[in-house]
Amino acid sequence: MRITAMSEEKERYIDIITRGIWKENPVAYQILGICSALAVTVKMSTALVMGIALTVVTAFSSLLISSMRKMIPSNIRIIAELAIIASLVIVTDQVLKAFFYDISKQLSIFVGLIITNCIVLGRAETYAMANKPLDSFFDGIGNGLGYSLVLIIVAFFRELLGSGKFLGFTVIPQFVFDAGYQNMGLMVLAPGAFFIIGLLVWLKNSLPGISKEER
Amino acid sequence: MSDKETKPGKTKVVLFALLLSGICSLLITASAVGLKGFQEANMALDKKINILKAADLIKNGTPAKQEINALYDAHIREVLVDGQGNIIEAYAPDALNLYFIQENEVIKGYIIPINTRGLWGKIQGYLAFENDGRTVSGFSVFSHSETPGLGGEIESAWFQKNFKGKKILNSQDKFVSVGIAKGKAENLPKELQSHHVDGISGATLTGKYLSEGIKENLMKYDSVSVTFRQKDLKPYKRP
Repeated sequence: MRITAMSEEKERYIDIITRGIWKENPVAYQILGICSALAVTVKMSTALVMGIALTVVTAFSSLLISSMRKMIPSNIRIIAELAIIASLVIVTDQVLKAFFYDISKQLSIFVGLIITNCIVLGRAETYAMANKPLDSFFDGIGNGLGYSLVLIIVAFFRELLGSGKFLGFTVIPQFVFDAGYQNMGLMVLAPGAFFIIGLLVWLKNSLPGISKEER
Repeated sequence: MSDKETKPGKTKVVLFALLLSGICSLLITASAVGLKGFQEANMALDKKINILKAADLIKNGTPAKQEINALYDAHIREVLVDGQGNIIEAYAPDALNLYFIQENEVIKGYIIPINTRGLWGKIQGYLAFENDGRTVSGFSVFSHSETPGLGGEIESAWFQKNFKGKKILNSQDKFVSVGIAKGKAENLPKELQSHHVDGISGATLTGKYLSEGIKENLMKYDSVSVTFRQKDLKPYKRP
């Protein structure tokens, strides 16, 4: 690897991040993390918490695994990666419980969902094991943000159509209901998320000039 | 993997695995044990907040720590009762614990803890009653592991405030408990409406388990409710 100037270095990190957010979006392109995307997108607030939590975890687990990549024996690497990820998440959860109790209460079930989220392991396995620590860190951030982006879009439609709310505030006025409008029950349930994610994947892949050359 | 390295020997792999598990378990144990004190203090405070919420003493938002402790000390008394609903001083095997809501040494109502299974794990909460022993005055959830946005809605204000004013006895004074309706309570027959709260869409099972759990706990605490229906209890002073 040649020595790069600061600005080029910066550009590369930005490129790594945008790749995770858009071109190789974990949900829409890599089709990872679908289960949790179904579970937490009924409301915008839970989607936001999950997005932030996953971004932090992916970034730091990638950083840690990448800095240990020369030591990890290849034949037990997946177990080792998972052990590192799980420990990291549990320790973080313990710290949150002690000092940020409200956040940890909101995270509750997400903690388990983060450990088992394929994105964390997927990025560790495909990127962090082969790249430098800082690159991996930014790759984790990019993928986390890409995941958050999808969650936010899905949650926006599910909350709006399913319960007529945005971030918990009612946005569909009462006279619309009086005129015969009804909340879409399907959107509250998991199939609603499937439909929206499916439409998003289709939309992303049909936009011209994007992601085609990556295949 | 792009890194070129020779395939490590078996001993090296085993050693690495042992070392990694050793370090990981040490880290987890250290954080769990080391932070226990802080966590327990947080949980105790959260418990108080939820008892106060059930008692309708916290309206909105979360007040500061001192305020919570002051409110709790002023209005809530934890008591033990025996199977007949009499207050006892010392712990007995069949003792039930509950909380009196007091104002100026007058019992305004009581709170019983609700422990039940949910869809994914235990649900712990509090159900408050007025001092007539038949009217629910509040409900709060202390811990649960239901899906956020679905069953997790049991901790939201709109769901909990619907419990206020529901009756656990029917018009013939027979025990019927309060339950969670499937869908809106207003769609139920008239005689059932005062015993049901609006359900959560997408969380039928959580509602079912919570209804069952509330009924079970109410039956356990039936003697307490009966006592309240029959006579006025004297406010409990701390010994």
